[in-house]
Amino acid sequence: MAKKPNNEDASLDMTPMIDVVFQLIIFFVVTLKMSDDKDTTIKLEDGAHGIVLTQDELPPSQLTIDVAKTGRVSLSNITLTDQMLAAKIRERKQKFGPDFPCMIRADQKAAHRHIARVMNICAAQGVWKLSFVAIAEHKAPQK
Amino acid sequence: MTPMIDVVFQLMIFFVVTIKQEDIFSKLNANRPAPNQSSSSSESNDTQIKIDIGFSGLIFNGRGVRMSELKSNLKQLSGTSKNATVLIRCTMDSPHGKLVDVLDACNQYGMHNLSIFSM
Repeated sequence: MAKKPNNEDASLDMTPMIDVVFQLIIFFVVTLKMSDDKDTTIKLEDGAHGIVLTQDELPPSQLTIDVAKTGRVSLSNITLTDQMLAAKIRERKQKFGPDFPCMIRADQKAAHRHIARVMNICAAQGVWKLSFVAIAEHKAPQK
Repeated sequence: MTPMIDVVFQLMIFFVVTIKQEDIFSKLNANRPAPNQSSSSSESNDTQIKIDIGFSGLIFNGRGVRMSELKSNLKQLSGTSKNATVLIRCTMDSPHGKLVDVLDACNQYGMHNLSIFSM
């Protein structure tokens, strides 16, 4: 009498499945962006026609200054005074020259006086090429 | 083998759940002349376009305009004077979002010589 094939099920070969699952895990680990420190209260304005920020546009020399609606100025979510910001910019300029990408990430409702203050600090250090961060395309779920 | 597969599945579920889509960001370039430089300075051999941003409105070359009118004006000008200097003057109480809107409109029509002043 022929052996029933489903007796084999007890020792089903798992190796291909484990391979696939590991591949998936590696994919997710690699694509997972560590939630970088930034001021999460900032709501940016849309700017579909700007230069889309890719990894090339974000070299290690870049500096992103966060300006919240309240006027709080921060780098990597650490609040800075005007003097501290000026010192940071001076340091960058000495290291990379005055053309390092200096980006201002300001809330859409922030009053211009706060942005003017930051821009004046940059300009006073000789950094007058500035960029403003905007949203090119909405992907995150709207809150 | 079973415990390992369990752990691996747990990891999978963790990564699937924690991954989230991020918005795509763009940057809008502009110049900020040093504060001691006066806005009316410099060799104005090119045409200058003046856009004033107030708390509630826009003024384009001395005329109050809406955003759509500003865009159509910029569109017309982009045909003839792409290298024109655009002087953007913001009042201190104007919201930053408006400045970004104006910068975006300038970028849309290929104007890249933008300077921001505050008043």
